[in-house]
Amino acid sequence: MSNRPTPAIASPEREPPLARGRRRRRRSSPSGPARDRIGYLFLAPWFAGMALFTVGPILASLYLSFTEYTLLKPPEWLGLDNYRQMLADPRLHKSLGVTFVYVSVSVPVQLVLALALALLLNRGVRGLSFYRSVYYLPSLLAGSVSVAILWRQIFGKDGLVNQLLAMAGIEGVSWVAHPDFALGTLIVLNAWTFGAPMVIFLAGLRQIPHSYYEAAEVDGAGPVSRFFRITLPLLTPIIFFNLVLQLIGAFQSFTQAFVISGGRGGPSDATLLYTLYLYERGFGSFDMGYASAMAWVLLAVIAVLTGLNFLFAKRWVFYGN
Amino acid sequence: MSRRPRRLAALCLAGVMLAVSACGGGPSESEDGAVELRFGWWGNNDRADATQKVIDAFQAKNPGITVKGSYTDFNSYFDRLATEVAAGRAPDVITLGGAYPREYGDRGALLDLSKVSLKTDKIGTAALDNGKFGGVQYGVPSGVNAIATVINPAVFDKAGVEVPDGDTWTWDDFKRVSTELSGKLPKGTFALADPTRSDMLDAYSRQRGEALYTADGKVAISAKTLVDWWTMTLELRDAGASPPASQTAELITQPAPEQTLMGRGLAAMQFDWSNQLTALTKAAGTPLKLIRVPGESDATQPGMWLQASQIYSINARSEHPEEAAKFVDFLVNSADAGKIILADRGIPANSDVREGIASVLGEEEKAQAEFIDDLTPKAGPPLVIGPAGSTDTPKILDRVNAEVLFGRQKPAEAAADFIQQVGTAIQQ
Repeated sequence: MSNRPTPAIASPEREPPLARGRRRRRRSSPSGPARDRIGYLFLAPWFAGMALFTVGPILASLYLSFTEYTLLKPPEWLGLDNYRQMLADPRLHKSLGVTFVYVSVSVPVQLVLALALALLLNRGVRGLSFYRSVYYLPSLLAGSVSVAILWRQIFGKDGLVNQLLAMAGIEGVSWVAHPDFALGTLIVLNAWTFGAPMVIFLAGLRQIPHSYYEAAEVDGAGPVSRFFRITLPLLTPIIFFNLVLQLIGAFQSFTQAFVISGGRGGPSDATLLYTLYLYERGFGSFDMGYASAMAWVLLAVIAVLTGLNFLFAKRWVFYGN
Repeated sequence: MSRRPRRLAALCLAGVMLAVSACGGGPSESEDGAVELRFGWWGNNDRADATQKVIDAFQAKNPGITVKGSYTDFNSYFDRLATEVAAGRAPDVITLGGAYPREYGDRGALLDLSKVSLKTDKIGTAALDNGKFGGVQYGVPSGVNAIATVINPAVFDKAGVEVPDGDTWTWDDFKRVSTELSGKLPKGTFALADPTRSDMLDAYSRQRGEALYTADGKVAISAKTLVDWWTMTLELRDAGASPPASQTAELITQPAPEQTLMGRGLAAMQFDWSNQLTALTKAAGTPLKLIRVPGESDATQPGMWLQASQIYSINARSEHPEEAAKFVDFLVNSADAGKIILADRGIPANSDVREGIASVLGEEEKAQAEFIDDLTPKAGPPLVIGPAGSTDTPKILDRVNAEVLFGRQKPAEAAADFIQQVGTAIQQ
């Protein structure tokens, strides 16, 4: 509507300043290719960083995955040997198993928690912003070393959990160091970070028009059927988004397992997440070639799972008409 | 398209250039032209204080050189070092120990010390050889050390059990004493932490004429020896002489002296390196003593050995090898440094330094010196240092030991598993 004559309804007083402003802007800001160039120039530092610190290393690791590279001597070409070796590596298979259990339990638990809390907060709780911040905090903190250390203390032999159990007369084990429970403590820690998906769920809930609920209520729908017929279907894009993000994130979990197990993935490999084993092979055993190959397999696994996710999404994600 | 965007472009570019050049600053020389060395080591806060004093003393004597120390605890030290070496940013002076000098030396990361001027004539040959591989001296020892039994006499007293005689006690005596203690100690206090550690397996197998590794870099320990060892540790665990499996697994992740059962006053005995006595005593807050490991007197051959507690080596890529050598020389050959470090990194390997500090040694250091002196004529043959890849052995042992303690593998299966895994690690 920029160059059209003044519409009849617009007040003549407001028109001149607007037009002046537009002209001024046109004079000062270049258009077309020149403007693009400036845009790219501003992006240049980011592109440089991306090429130098992300794309470059990624390509290097692809090359290294076909070599034997011990860090201290130049890499030697091996072809597919690293990948072949992975097929016969029992610890790798163990770590894959541990990772799949970790991901397939912690992600659903975390999402259900997040959705439940979001629904609760969406009912118009007083002091919503306070609760939102409080529940979001763990998401910011949980990746940190200090929280992992705290976790080790809470679930350790003389930790908080066992002190509570002792009051009930039960003598607990060291939960972080028992092969049957250690992974569970990590899953709980990850589930505790439900704040980030919760905030996204909350935003999604806010977007569902109130009129739908009103109409449903008029038709006699109870709270349960309102949830399953309106909230859940309209929230599916948000659920899908959270699922994809959390799945990718969970596969790459490292810090907590590293700190809690003292970098070993113990006891007897019970918390040996894939990334932890990758790190151990790379930086513990100087097997950078093998570690690079592992990284690429992890990428492939995450890519395939995300692809499947998108494929199945057509069946259950509802984007409106 | 007037001049303004161009000026903007120039500004942006200038910003980028500034950022890039800030990254490329040379680290080796500070503004006043002084050479800056980096020194990497592991340890606790007490060692950090002492080390900083040594650095200050060195800098006072060598005004042109500044030394920056950086340290972590033992578990993360080698992870970090590997990363730094890979990035070409390893410290100029690197502290190593055990099989690591050979690991790094074999991989070309360490300087051949014959290329710099560094005196080693006053250093005992047994310890010096721990830093020599394939005829090349890659490192010099900080001091001499031995695996020992640390005893907390107060805990023995409390239980009313007599402290065993280190010169004569056998493994059967050890088992008997441990079980006796466990019956008389309060809950939460143990005869000892689970004793399985790779250096103890070295001592135990050497007593039987074996060792962890053969001289040509293969696995030497037999399945029978391992089965006997685990049969014993399981008995101790079942008798309550050592903690339950999950507590042991937790203790493994906390290697600092203050975190051990002994350091917390919760154990009567602990197998550890003799130079840990000072730190352990301080942590436990009660006098501790050293005796030899069990089974030395009735063994085929003595299993204990004198070992360089730590090895100072120089980064092969250091830009200032001569200055680095000067610093290492100060660390091992100067009585001034010795008076600060005392016996924290083992009893000084340099005989002059050792005499020089005799008068200032505290109770624990004197005990360590006496222990080493007493052991020297009785020690077994020099230890065969593990080949490249053998630095994985302690981790493999931790894993297999957990399998045994949690009852997931029988000792016989675990023994076969351990031998196979170590074999794979060292042939790579």
